[in-house]
Amino acid sequence: MKKHPMLKYMKETGPQGDRMPMIMCPGCGSGQVLNAILHAVDRLIQEDGARKENFVFITGVGCSARLTSHYLNFDSGWTIHGRTLAIATGALLANPELRIIVITGDGDTGAIGGNHFIHVCRRNLDLTIVCINNGLYGMTGGQVAPTTETGISTTTTPYGNTEESFDLCRLAEAAGAPFVARWTTAHPHQTIRTLTKGIRKKGTAFIEILSQCPVHKKQSPVQMLKALKQGTARVKPGEPPVEGKIPIGEFCNLDKPEWIQSYQKVLDQFSNHRTPVEV
Amino acid sequence: MNTRNLLEPGVYYLQGAQACLEGAITAGCRVYGGYPITPATEIMEHAALRLPQVGGRFIQMEDEIASACVLLGSSWAGEKAMTATSSPGFSLMQEAISYGIMSETPMVIVDVQRPGPGQGYITTSQEDVMQARWGHHGEGSAIAIAPASVQEMYDFTIEAFNLSERWRSPVLIMCEENVAHMRERLIVPPLDTITVINRKKPQDLGIPPETYLPWGHDVVAPMANWGEGYNINYIGLVHLEDGNITKYDLAMHDRCVRRLHDKIEGNVDAIAKLETKFVETCKHLIVCYGSVSRTAIEAVVEARQVRGIDIGFLRLKTLWPFPEEQLRRILPPVDTVFVPEMNLGMMKHPIAEALRDRCRKIVPIPCLASLHTPEYILAKIDEEIR
Repeated sequence: MKKHPMLKYMKETGPQGDRMPMIMCPGCGSGQVLNAILHAVDRLIQEDGARKENFVFITGVGCSARLTSHYLNFDSGWTIHGRTLAIATGALLANPELRIIVITGDGDTGAIGGNHFIHVCRRNLDLTIVCINNGLYGMTGGQVAPTTETGISTTTTPYGNTEESFDLCRLAEAAGAPFVARWTTAHPHQTIRTLTKGIRKKGTAFIEILSQCPVHKKQSPVQMLKALKQGTARVKPGEPPVEGKIPIGEFCNLDKPEWIQSYQKVLDQFSNHRTPVEV
Repeated sequence: MNTRNLLEPGVYYLQGAQACLEGAITAGCRVYGGYPITPATEIMEHAALRLPQVGGRFIQMEDEIASACVLLGSSWAGEKAMTATSSPGFSLMQEAISYGIMSETPMVIVDVQRPGPGQGYITTSQEDVMQARWGHHGEGSAIAIAPASVQEMYDFTIEAFNLSERWRSPVLIMCEENVAHMRERLIVPPLDTITVINRKKPQDLGIPPETYLPWGHDVVAPMANWGEGYNINYIGLVHLEDGNITKYDLAMHDRCVRRLHDKIEGNVDAIAKLETKFVETCKHLIVCYGSVSRTAIEAVVEARQVRGIDIGFLRLKTLWPFPEEQLRRILPPVDTVFVPEMNLGMMKHPIAEALRDRCRKIVPIPCLASLHTPEYILAKIDEEIR
């Protein structure tokens, strides 16, 4: 049987046993997102000659977090809930050559990690944030998230969500991220293209992927994918967003100074000569 | 050792905070992430000035949680990293300390202690010494040391990095506000006489990625870093030797956590250091740590010379792991043990436990938000010993 082309980047088995099939629930979108990310990384390795050893995948806690440690044959960290971007910042300070891809969820990014998220965008660090947004907390059993639409019932909003929800892309853009985009699991090719651009971008790339959670939303995956297609509309430059639809596409791609490069200018002042140490 | 732009050998008149940071960069620290807080900010300001001069990077993060997480990322990417904070910030760092213990991450955190609870005040304290051991969630210990002078802010910080690299553990420098703000003499020895320990790496031991077990090979596993082709996966869950949790069972869980615990607690003799005077045959004893030891030794000398009280002096240079067996080995049975602390009695608990059958009475000498004077300690000794 012909193998899936992305299996070359994954651990199929280990000393302690097989890793496949994945632990994700049937119909979950996380596997689709991982597939898209690996296709984009593959393009960078094949087309740009990027070193595989320099890619690092960092996740926090939640469904999205399970994608790295279990399966990826890359350097990775399955880290603390919400702290992925602070940890990624530390890694880049130590080694700016690393190509860091943070795979995160809407709770990880928009709630517990919100502070780190806006400050990474503000600093414009050279990394890629892929946020799998399923609109709820899946791993803990379907609680309300900052991205849950108003009115939706969850296990912690049994009478319907009375709060307003976050638009994470607008938040990222306002905080200063130069590359911001949104696609859905129903747009695999567009997602791969945008991910490739985002990883190539020198600076913070925030790419939100709207995804389905059939288990906690109690709907069929097919029905949910159709809804993701029908409920979204691509943004067109110069045109207002389509009323009643979630905008998708690439929202911005700006040239801004990347922080590590800016700080390098400070380092360079001291690179060639001895500095009288003043204490 | 890369000696470019390090503080050169010589005699200086420095603040404890500056000496601490100079020790750090001499030990090889090249990343500093921090968040301002009184009375620890001087360490951070000195880091902002000095890190770029030695080819390192400094960042002011959005909070203390993020600052401690910077250490995790930097260490995994191959650099030694440090942050400094004060007590409220230290509370926020407990999450990363716990993760650092599980992921066996070398990292150094300085806690310039101020009194609490809450915002407390911005003066001095030793009120976080229990937090250093029990503040983080879960089993597993970090290493905590207590410097008492500007010289020790330099020396102990180098030692902190060496311990963290040697044992792959978070190391906490538990100093007091008065030590960080104190200015006194610092002697920097010839740099080639300073021992700097770097983590053991699988490459150095000839272990290729194919056979590398991230949590295997030795009591302290060799550490692969990101970007070196080892497909290393840092993980916060209990894990197997291959660094994964593919098949969870209780035996694996037990083995993982006991190994982390025993790595530190089982090597307490190799890690912990004490200082003693007059203890060989003493009738009474004073046990202390940090800057309190400087006034306590004056009180002890005075008590012996002027009052003729046979009292010994024991200083804990290492707070955690607590050197219980060392205490029991070197101390004779004594009558009264005095424990002066800048809190209401914290380290007196493990001290009492260690000397449970070796002394008649434990007498805490608490002092909140200021350093004990020798007279204050002497008065308590007089009160107890007629």
